[in-house]
Amino acid sequence: MTPKNNIFSVERTLSLLLILLLFGLCFASDSFAATLYVKKSGTKLQAAESAKSKVIAKLDQGTPVSVIKKSRRFYQVSAPGGKKGWIFKFKLTAKAPVNSGGGGGGGLLGALGGRQKIAARESSSGSSIRGLSPMSKKHAKNKGISEEEIQSVKQMEAFHVNPQEMEKFLKEGQLGEYGQ
Amino acid sequence: MLAVVSLMWSQSSHSFDLGGFLEGMAKPPPQSQPAKKPAPQQAAPQEQPAQQGDGGLLGLGESLGIFDRKTSRILKKSVGAVQAFQPIGLKEEKAIGGSLALEVFHRFGGMYKNAALQNYVNLVGKSVAEVSDRPEIDYHFAVLNTDNPNAFATPGGYVFVSVGLLRMLQNEAQLAGVLGHEIAHITKKHALQTLQRSKVLSGLGGLTMAAMDKDEALFDQVINQVSDILFTRGLDKNLEFEADKFGMEYAYRMGYYPAGLRDFVKILGQSSSQESSIFFSTHPSPSARIQALDRLLPRYKGAGLYPILARRYQSTVKGQL
Repeated sequence: MTPKNNIFSVERTLSLLLILLLFGLCFASDSFAATLYVKKSGTKLQAAESAKSKVIAKLDQGTPVSVIKKSRRFYQVSAPGGKKGWIFKFKLTAKAPVNSGGGGGGGLLGALGGRQKIAARESSSGSSIRGLSPMSKKHAKNKGISEEEIQSVKQMEAFHVNPQEMEKFLKEGQLGEYGQ
Repeated sequence: MLAVVSLMWSQSSHSFDLGGFLEGMAKPPPQSQPAKKPAPQQAAPQEQPAQQGDGGLLGLGESLGIFDRKTSRILKKSVGAVQAFQPIGLKEEKAIGGSLALEVFHRFGGMYKNAALQNYVNLVGKSVAEVSDRPEIDYHFAVLNTDNPNAFATPGGYVFVSVGLLRMLQNEAQLAGVLGHEIAHITKKHALQTLQRSKVLSGLGGLTMAAMDKDEALFDQVINQVSDILFTRGLDKNLEFEADKFGMEYAYRMGYYPAGLRDFVKILGQSSSQESSIFFSTHPSPSARIQALDRLLPRYKGAGLYPILARRYQSTVKGQL
């Protein structure tokens, strides 16, 4: 039998295998729940769809969660480790983190190389990086920028809002998780 | 995994055309027509695919005869295109943004020394940043000591509003919209995008701290280029419209009345401070912005009664000016 006449040609077989593989991926989870990702570390997983409810856990940036139920401003989710709870929906994103599933050099995506470099360059912790590097300060000096102005930028960077004050601000304004 | 294993075990005599196969999967084949040869791949105009060794599966695939030469060329071009686009990393972004923050203070009156006002603007700004598309970086907010109504964002999370602008606003929802607009410039990396397309970086594969450290003139050129964009020429108008769109969205996500930004732009359009504000030289006209924002408002029809927090704004801000 020649390849042309054989209904089980290599191309058709591979097409079928690829379709089955993709189909299988779609059905990989127990339910058909959408997977979303936590946008920022410290995001609260709460016992009920209310900002005043007990905090079950705090989730890290990039944690995948499966959506079980949706209310107006909260999603009930299942998190890794079997934890279930509610998260304010705007703390979640459908966009997977850049370096999720990238692995080492394996896989076709790994062969592209650039993706791994991008992940490494974007993953630096913002809080440990300050804009006023020696390079910035030298540039500032050459531009006639005053010491007072340099101190203003440092003050701006050092300013931190007390978390309890932020909670009070949101609660009194009925904003964020406290929105009606 | 099965597909990859199948590829590797396919007999070399069948010489599998992966490039054609992928294109065939993407487009439905025309009915009753013989299969056509795939169109030649063309790189997008700004792409400069790097001619580098690719290693990895591409090299392995070619040596095993899995990919024919044409497919391998197509895949190599894609690899090169991705490698040519090295986005500016966070460290570099903050170095650029920090230097520009110095420029903002230098050019626009320095910091307004009022702790209560700085605190309030930080509360509103940081809460809106939390629900943005890039909440994981640190955002910093400051009030500028100038009566001209101005607002700026520099890469890396630095956001400024002037005392003059705060005097024009009527409520917290409008402030949230303005800060949302500036935050959107940062989340969407507008200034960096514009910089990457500029002549300053042409011919470079990327912009690193090491390169800028080594070449002081390069760092100066980068800062001068972005200063020119932010303070003189302005960003591309489409990027300003995008910042309006996402500024409104971010304020809505936080729970503010979403038309706050639109209401502020209306006030700005009616103000007599037009000559003294950077908004008029670097942004689309207020009428164009209002039109664009009004077209977006119907998607927020459920948010008509969201809070504007006029009383909180008046008692906090007006009392400090």
